[in-house]
Order: sequence, then structure tokens, then C-alpha cells
Amino acid sequence: MKKLGLGLCLSAMMALTTLAVAAEKPAAKKETPPDLYEGTPDWYKAVYRDNVGMREGSGPFKDYFKPQMLDMYWQPNRHYEPMKNLDHSIFIEKERRDLCVTCHEEATPGVVRDWRSSGHKNPKSTPYLSSRTAEIEKRTNRVLNEVHCFDCHADTQKKQIRMPTGEVCGECHRPQFDDFLREREVGRPNHIQSWEANTIVPWYAEAARRGYLYGQHGCDLCHSGAEKCDVCHTRHKFSAAEGRQPEACITCHMGPDHPDAESYGESKHGVIYHKEEEHFDFTRPLAEVRPGKDYRTPTCQFCHMYEKHGRFIHNPVMKGIWRMGTIPPKNLEYTSSLKDYPYGIKIIGDKIDIYSEENVAKRSYWLEVCAKCHSDRFADTYLKSLDQFMFQAHTLADKAQKIIDDLIADGFLYPSAADRDPYPLSDGIEKQLSPAFLGEPIYNAFKTLKGKFPVVGPILGVYGMFLQQQDNPSDIENNYNRLWFWYKLQGYKGTAHVQQDVSWWWGQAPMMMEFTKIQSEAARLRREGRIEKVSVSK
Amino acid sequence: MKPKVLLDKVGLWSATVVASTALILGVAPMTAKAINVPTAVTEDGKNTYKKYCSPCHGEEGKGDGPLARSMLPKPRDFTRGAYKFRTTPSGSLPTDEDIFRTISYGVPNSTMIPWDILTEQQRASIIPVLKSFSEAFEVRKPEPPVNVGLEIRPSEKSLAEGKKIYEEKLECWKCHGVEGRGDGPSAAEQEDDFGFPIKPFDFTTGKFKGGNSDRDVYLRFTTGLNGTPMPSFAKELTDEQRWCLTHYVMSLIKPEETCK
Repeated sequence: MKKLGLGLCLSAMMALTTLAVAAEKPAAKKETPPDLYEGTPDWYKAVYRDNVGMREGSGPFKDYFKPQMLDMYWQPNRHYEPMKNLDHSIFIEKERRDLCVTCHEEATPGVVRDWRSSGHKNPKSTPYLSSRTAEIEKRTNRVLNEVHCFDCHADTQKKQIRMPTGEVCGECHRPQFDDFLREREVGRPNHIQSWEANTIVPWYAEAARRGYLYGQHGCDLCHSGAEKCDVCHTRHKFSAAEGRQPEACITCHMGPDHPDAESYGESKHGVIYHKEEEHFDFTRPLAEVRPGKDYRTPTCQFCHMYEKHGRFIHNPVMKGIWRMGTIPPKNLEYTSSLKDYPYGIKIIGDKIDIYSEENVAKRSYWLEVCAKCHSDRFADTYLKSLDQFMFQAHTLADKAQKIIDDLIADGFLYPSAADRDPYPLSDGIEKQLSPAFLGEPIYNAFKTLKGKFPVVGPILGVYGMFLQQQDNPSDIENNYNRLWFWYKLQGYKGTAHVQQDVSWWWGQAPMMMEFTKIQSEAARLRREGRIEKVSVSK
Repeated sequence: MKPKVLLDKVGLWSATVVASTALILGVAPMTAKAINVPTAVTEDGKNTYKKYCSPCHGEEGKGDGPLARSMLPKPRDFTRGAYKFRTTPSGSLPTDEDIFRTISYGVPNSTMIPWDILTEQQRASIIPVLKSFSEAFEVRKPEPPVNVGLEIRPSEKSLAEGKKIYEEKLECWKCHGVEGRGDGPSAAEQEDDFGFPIKPFDFTTGKFKGGNSDRDVYLRFTTGLNGTPMPSFAKELTDEQRWCLTHYVMSLIKPEETCK
């Protein structure tokens, strides 16, 4: 369920992307304090960054729900509140570092032991670590013999305990922080906007309003990767080596919408990894990994964090071409309303041109990675066949969407949009979002029809997987959601990660079976509609 | 060669002197210095208790503060007047100095930190508050501190005598384990007077809960730890034997293993 939540939130988000904030090149980075929201507009900071504790939610629809208490840990800038049971200010004022460990060694011994075995406790314990620490010392003008609880958890200005965010880590780990920040350049789906992806979709607030807030626990858990580094480098070891292991990714990257763990794990790449795991040297920085020696097979990180020309970047999204597989490519002729995608909506990302100059360049960077072990021709042929798979899958989705488009046009969709609950949070969309945000026609549709119109297909049609409402959507629409959102994406991951079973039995086969269901259901709706008309006319 | 040896010796002696001085200065003030304890509960005492003590010990001193539920060992319930670390005989209430010492020194291996972060006055002001939680202080007075006999030196002979007491006479190992790791055959069955499981002390850690000096450890054998299965051996052992046992259990400390 969690996976599902994750996935759909991600995908929804990618759609709603433009909202997001084009990244501006930060000027004089090194001198400015790290800021996860650098380059984002003021409205964005006001709903995602400014701390409101538990008073209100996040995102444009923040006023429609109050967050779960747990959200303070997932999105600390926005929601964290220091503990009230014990006022820690005295320890911070007097900078009694010794007492943190004295108490927490007993209160939370696992945390302290983790820290003791971390590079933070002994930042100069090996020659390699020493050299990295020396770089940080030089950059920050500090002497670092120990990075202590106090350094990350004490807010010395407010005199209270804080939950560290990437900004705190970025004070020392600035290059990694800046690389992470660059995820904004490519837009959603990414990690740094994952909380935005979670809460900007209207169905999140609508579900909360309908009493399903805690049902979205799974969404929150994965989408908490926006501000925190411990998503990959778990507390309190914060091990770089751990972050290089495929297992660092799989708690989120699994399941119906992106079975990465399954498709990589059961592929030949994954099988070799599992067989020979103990021979992999994860202590080596990615750029120094010798394929065939340190790694006999690639990891998630080795392929996805390779940027170009031998350089690795500290984020895994820069080379993505098909992104999550949800956005239709420009390179097809569509018969359905997909030809109008993104329907003039300003906040949804445009179709992807797979052969754009940028994407052709990205493909060559992929080939640079593959060529560590495969011939250029094999790799190129493989990736081209992935493109063909995706074109076919999107074509099938187009045919399915056409069936539903026609049902709507001919008045056979049942129950009709006018007889259903409106689109999620229609009142909020009308109130909170502007024509500039939504596009004039869509905005007007909300204004005049109050959300009583059908929404089908990527991305906004996915709400049916996240929200239960009266007759909205109907079964056939959810069949279509499964086709394009689950099975197409499963086929994509199976094919991309070279896992034949996932490609076929989780992908292509159920996509076709779902298509058949859609055809049958459409035929039934038409038949019933005709019968009804005849009986009414009699 | 010779100058180097000399230097080493000088270095060693200097270190010893510095360390001893530090130890004396560090321990002595808390144990010996007279403190000015208010005779009744004051506002300052109530506020200090509420802010810093009640999160664990509870507003009414029952050991049930909001942070207590996940803690082991559990914070002390003050309502019975049972205090572990005292200079007074077994079963007696503690002196004000005893309580002050525990507050200032803390209890190693527990979340009770040394509260030397508070002023002496604040620490002293808490004492009447703690006492107010138990009727025992209304009806009884602490007995006078036990007499601390003249310390004997740790020697081969006294250590052997201590070992004999530990292993044969008192069978300390049944709870504390043969090597003093707190893992004797009866260790798992121990409960305190409040019904909570209690772990026999692991001497190898060297972090004695009532203080690390010879005198502190001697006092534990002499006074016992009220509210726990650890009795006083004031009657079973002579003064000299208690010193022997003290030196023996301190010989079980393994500094290389003390880092958690």
C-alpha cells in the first residue's frame, strides 16, 4: 500500500510539475548558508518551509488538513516542534556536550553506539577519512576532531533541540548538498520535491478531509525524502558506504508503481550482486569503483548517479529520460485526448521528447555507463528496444483512453460526471489556485462546473487510486488507471532493469488483460445505455 | 637512554599527581562540603523540580513522568523514601548530603545525569521537595552515617581475601557473575521493591552507580541499597573484610571493555 502511495504521489507530482519552481543558479554558493529551498518562489517557501508545527498542513491546500504528528519528523522545516516534556535549553545554553551522551547512552543506547562507530565520532580515524575531513575543515574554517550531538541537534539561537535537515548536513557536506539541490533542475519526479509531490495533489487534502489522513501514512513515509539525508544514509552512522548499497533505495523503490527492487533484484545484475555481495567494496567512492573488480555488476547508485564523462553526482535523477514512465512521449500520434496532454494545464509537465537534443545526450551518458561492461552496440540496441517497449505501451494506453473518451462523448459513461462526487477538492482548487496556475480553460471549468467533469488518464486521473468517493471514479476508469499507472510502469521497470518476468507478467500481460476488461466494460455500458434509452423512449 | 627514562618517570609521576588531585577535587567537594538545604519546600525548589526532575520522576514523585515509560532502569519512585545511595545504615533514610550527592553526581548507567548543570542552590532546593513526596521523612529521621573504618591497602593478600568472600563466603557471583559481569545464575530473577526487574551491577564497566572511589564502594557493602535485593553486609563482614571485598570488586574493572 505504501508503495502504491509513494508511486502515485510521485507520478502525480511529476504531472503537476511546473508549479515547481525552476531552479535558478545560486550565486556565490559557498558563501551562503545552505538552503534547500534556494531558488524557489516566496509562495513556495511560505507553504513548504516556514515552520507552522502542527497547526496546518503543507502545500497550496495546507488549510484543508492538519498534518499527522509524525510529519514533524518527515518534514522538519515545516512541522518540527521541540519536545515539551523536558526543556533542553539549559544544556544548550551551557553547551554541556558531555551530558547529551551521558543521558542518551542510557535513554537511547542504539543511537549513541551508532554514533560512536560513525565517521562523525572519529573523523580522522583513517587516512581517507582524514583527507575528507581536512577538506571540510578548510572549507568551513573549523577544527573537526569530533562531530557531536550538539553540532547537529542544538539550535543555539533558539536554544532548543532541532531535527537536522539537509541544511544542517550541508554546513559541512556542501558539495553533496549542492548536488542534491540540482534535482530541481530536472523537476519531478525527484527526491527534493517529494514532499511537494505528496501534498500538492488535491486528493491528499481531500482524503484527509474525508477521514483518510492516516491511510496516507505510506505516502508520507516515502515522500519524506525532501529535506533529510538519513533517507539513504541512516541515522546515526550516516555511512557513505551504506548509501552506495542497493538496499539503501529499496524501502521506497519497490511495489506496483515502480518495482525497482524486484526488477533489479531478480535481474542478472541483481542476482550477481546478491551472490557476491561480500566482494563488493562499498567503501570506495563511486568515481573510483573499478567495474569487474570492486563491483562485478552495477548497483542502482552506480548507474543512476553517474552523471556524464566519468563524473558522478550526488543525486540519482539527472540522467532520467522516461522519468517514471507516466508522462506520454511527444514522438507518437495519439488518437485519444492524450493528443491534447497536458490539456493546457500549466502545472503539469509537457510531453517528453525522447529524441530531444538533451535526451539524446543523456542517452549517450547512459551508454558510457553500460560500456564499462557491455559493447556500445549491445547497450544501444537494448536501450532502443526499451524505447520501443515504451512507445508500444503508451500506444496501448492511448487506445484505452480513447475508449473512455468515446464513452464520455457518447454519454455512456455511468454514473456520469454530473451524478457523482466532484473531482477531489474542487472547492479548494477553485479557491486556492489561479488561472495562471491552472490555465484559463481548466480554471473556468472548476469555476462553472464545480469539479463535475470527468478526469481521465495521466496524471490527474490517477486520483481513483488514492481516494474513495461516491461513484468517482467508476470501475472502468480505475481499470484504465491500473493499465497506465501500474502495469505500464511495471513493464517499463522490468524492461529497463532487464527482468523478463516483471517485464511480461507484471507488465505487458496484465496491461493487455486490463485493456480487454476495458473493452468489455465499455461494450456493457453501451449496451445498457442503449437499453435504457429504448425503455425510456417507450 | 638515561635522560629518557628519567623523563618517563617524571612524566608518570606528574600524571599521577595531576590525576589524583583531579580525583580529590572532583569527588571531595560533593561528598564533604556542607550544603545549605532549605528546611521547607520553596518556590524555587518546586519550580526546579517541575522543570528538570518531573519529566522522569513525575509531578508527584512517583517515578511516572512522561519520559519514564521507555526508561530502564525506571526513575526512582520517591514516595517510599527508599534511597539507594546513602551513608546511613541499611533501611535508614538518607541524609540531605546523600541526596545532594546523588543529584550532583548522577547515577552512571542510568539516565540520571550529574545535575551539576544546576547551581548548588537549585540542587539543594530540590531536596525538601523530594522529601515531601514520602511520609517517611515526617515520622522518621535519618540515622547517623555509618562509621567508615580505616581503609586497608589493596594488596595481594587483601585481594585474595576479597575474592574468597566474593566466591565462597557471600557467593556474590550468584548474582554478579564469576567475572563480575552481572551475569550470575540468579541475575535474571532479581526484582526491586517496586516490582521492576533489576540487573545486578556489572563491575567490569567501572562506572559504579554510587560513586567510583574506594570509600563509595565500601559504603555500598556497609549500607546496602535500599529498595533493591542488594543487602548490607555490615553484620556479616568485618570492617576489614568489607575493604577486602571493595578492592576485589574494583580489580574486576576492565577498562578496555568499558567503552560501550
